[in-house]
Amino acid sequence: MNEGKVKVKRPLARKLLLWIGLPLLLVYIIVILFTYFWSGDNALKQMKEYLFELTSHHACMLDGKFLKVSGASIGIADAIDKFSIPTKNELYSLMKKKLSENRNIYGMATAFDPFAYNNKIKLFSPYVHRTDKEIQEFDLAESYDYTLQDWFMIPKLLRTSYWGEPYFDEGGGNILMATYSQPMYKDGNFIGVSTADISLDDLELEMSNIRIMAGYTFIITRTGTFIYHPIKEYMMNEGIFSLAEEDEQPELRAIGKKMIAGEQGITTFRDVNTGEKSWLVYSPIPECHWSFAAVIPEKEIMKTVNSMVLRQVSIMVIGLLIIMLVILWASFGITKPIKRLLGFADKISKGDLDEKITGISGHDEIHELVKAFNKMTYDLKHYIADLTVATKEKESVESELRIARQIQESLLPRIFPPFPDAEEFDLYARNIPAKEVAGDFFDFFMLDDENIAVIIADVSGKGISAGLFMAVTRTLMKTVCVKDIPPAEAMKKANIVLCQDNDACMFTTLFLAIYNIKTGKMKWTNAGHDEPIIISEDGSYRILKTFKDIALGIDETCEYHEGEAQLEVGEVMVLYTDGVIEATSPEKELYGEERFIKILSKNADKTLVEILDVVTEDLDGFQKDNQFDDITILLLKREK
Amino acid sequence: MKIKIPVILLFCLVLLLPNFLLGQERQEISFMVQWFPQAQFAGYIVAHEKGFYNEAGIDATILFSDGTDSPLQEVLDNRIEFCTGWLSQAIMIRSGNEPILNICQLLQKSSLMLVAKKESGIKTAQDFEDKIVSNWGGDFSIQPIAFFQKQNIQPDVIPQSFRIDGFLVGAIDVTSAMYYNEYHKILQAGIDEDELVTFFFTDYDLNFPEDGIYCREETLQNDPKMCKNFIDATINGWAYAFQNKEETLDLVMKYCREYHMQTNRSHQRWMLGAIETAMTYQVGDDPENWGILKKEDYYTVAEELLNQKLITTIPSYQDFYKDVAHE
Repeated sequence: MNEGKVKVKRPLARKLLLWIGLPLLLVYIIVILFTYFWSGDNALKQMKEYLFELTSHHACMLDGKFLKVSGASIGIADAIDKFSIPTKNELYSLMKKKLSENRNIYGMATAFDPFAYNNKIKLFSPYVHRTDKEIQEFDLAESYDYTLQDWFMIPKLLRTSYWGEPYFDEGGGNILMATYSQPMYKDGNFIGVSTADISLDDLELEMSNIRIMAGYTFIITRTGTFIYHPIKEYMMNEGIFSLAEEDEQPELRAIGKKMIAGEQGITTFRDVNTGEKSWLVYSPIPECHWSFAAVIPEKEIMKTVNSMVLRQVSIMVIGLLIIMLVILWASFGITKPIKRLLGFADKISKGDLDEKITGISGHDEIHELVKAFNKMTYDLKHYIADLTVATKEKESVESELRIARQIQESLLPRIFPPFPDAEEFDLYARNIPAKEVAGDFFDFFMLDDENIAVIIADVSGKGISAGLFMAVTRTLMKTVCVKDIPPAEAMKKANIVLCQDNDACMFTTLFLAIYNIKTGKMKWTNAGHDEPIIISEDGSYRILKTFKDIALGIDETCEYHEGEAQLEVGEVMVLYTDGVIEATSPEKELYGEERFIKILSKNADKTLVEILDVVTEDLDGFQKDNQFDDITILLLKREK
Repeated sequence: MKIKIPVILLFCLVLLLPNFLLGQERQEISFMVQWFPQAQFAGYIVAHEKGFYNEAGIDATILFSDGTDSPLQEVLDNRIEFCTGWLSQAIMIRSGNEPILNICQLLQKSSLMLVAKKESGIKTAQDFEDKIVSNWGGDFSIQPIAFFQKQNIQPDVIPQSFRIDGFLVGAIDVTSAMYYNEYHKILQAGIDEDELVTFFFTDYDLNFPEDGIYCREETLQNDPKMCKNFIDATINGWAYAFQNKEETLDLVMKYCREYHMQTNRSHQRWMLGAIETAMTYQVGDDPENWGILKKEDYYTVAEELLNQKLITTIPSYQDFYKDVAHE
């Protein structure tokens, strides 16, 4: 089905985007900006915490390793303190056992103070150390006077354990090493030190596996000397203080002082090697009073931080795009069937009711609308079909009504003056019908030579039924009004007939007068009609007071009253229907009895035709095109 | 054109002259300094590396002592021609009638000192009592002993290794130090100067001039010109070193690396500066004035040696010292 292209000035999709997408976009932009600036700081903070944790972790791991190394020495010192001094062989095997148990230890010595091991032997320091193949043993005393070595002298002087500065143990392990020394006591007297060495090569190997971002790590001893640094040349030669001096960075010296004081921290400095601003994160290795540090170029950190921020922002931007697409998709989902409906409606407006919208699924409002549309076209189609029939029927009824009206009009006497030869009276009547068939009628007919029956009536309701009722009443009146019949009786007869089978409950007001043209006397009966007005030639008037009995067709048993009246020469009896006094102006004013009487009085000296013309003209001027009811006026004048 | 014979001969002479000059053999000598390569010996390294010795017609081999061999003894044993040594040690040897000669006293000021940490509570030498003081042996102990005598104190002195770790960790309260070396190492271990108390022996009338150049008497007698050339080239080396410190440090560091010295450039820079101070002390910046052994300095040292009974007689100043640089 082709609904045709519908151009919409402000499409729904745009509206949805504008009302949902735009505020969302604004919120998102604010959130993104906030995220960018806030999460930048946050990411930096997180990064600091992360580096801090990581550095602490590595420092702790190293500390744990060194603790195991020192533990071995302490074990031997404790054993010597508690038990008798072992024999040479026992010492070697004890140290070998410790060495084999702990891969971190390169070598161990039990160095005795002069004559402490044996009063005949001055120096005795059994030493075991690893080689490529096996664990070797020998007496250090054969190589050098170890008592002058820091690893011996310092713990002896300090009377506490000591992790020494790295050194090349020539004549001992013959490698770069750092030595832990535990003073040994026997009965409270210093008898020597128990040592454990770590190989700096092993440490270097282990350290080279530690990666912290794109930076590097280093370890300084308690004197600030690099015991490990990725630049091999620095190891043992340079220290953090020598670099600070060489690079003229007093700040770096201050950092170094904190590091060797066992503090933990994070700071920035200019990397001596690269000249780049870098972060320095340091954490102590408490066991040996060393400090582990990581150096990361700030640009690397910022790269990571920025990528973290960028990732967050990207996720948000993607989220935003997805929401926008969803809005667009949803709006197209909504507008597509609506556009089809629009096209469909367009077709309906052009009268094409044979189409039906199909292919729109779902259980939403749109689907309901489509269903309603389809039902509407279906109903419309049938309604129009029905309407066509009804219109045709109405047209036929209207044409029949038109005929009925013509017939109705034709029922009324049309020739005036009806009795041109009569000198005693003059009679004129005029019926101004409303648009529809109404029920006003008048009639007059001679009952004999002297008496004339004059009737004016107003049938309730409008339309065919009223017209028919009027025709029936008129015919009936002609039938019941026979010579010499009292008008009340004629009325009663007519009433009885009209009441019978009056299922439609139609009724009519009716005034009947039987007027003697010779004497001017008349007998009247009134079934609820407006009372006649009698106007003299001088303009004075009187209302013919009657019994206003019940209208015809209502009560079968009704007895009608009868009255008599005398019409003087020159007097005109005016019979009229309520269409006169209830005529309404466009301003909703009633014409009224007073205005009617006034115009009658004013023109009382005129001929009946002239009076009717004046009244008609006045009524027309009053109600303009506003006539709702039939207007019927009948004038009877006694000429002599 | 006819070329005249004298002109040809002259041309040949000009061509042969450089060959003659180049063909002159340089005199090979060996020269030993007291310790491994460091800025303390920068002038010799520079003179050698910059070709000053070569220009002086000397093919010098610089030897670095590892501390186990005594350069002065090496000279006396005629294994080497020249060496550097401390005045005190040389006087002691001379006092034993050994034919050792000081031919150039380069360092005028003693760099030996005692250092303590302020945190140890030491303010004056009197505070050394009950403290642990460490001293090197040999020449290095003469000034401290004299100092303790002068101060009338008898601190507990223990032998000192070549490292300062004992002092740094607080095992030793007062340590001996060379201003150009250990003192700076203390600073490079993160201890600030204002955290230290220093005792320079020069401030206590114990200025023992240190490095001088020595040879045997016969070396000077046999070839005074070579000796003069050697001393001049050495002084030139020192003058160049002080004027071109960074270049000098490059050379020194090259040697340090070759000898696997555990050191760094900033330390050597400090040392070079400190040596310059010691060399120019009281004689000024002009190299012309360098190399003099002042008589009063000589007797200060000799008398203290006598005092400490390290010598029995004071050798004659004239016999001991020959001012080769200014001859």
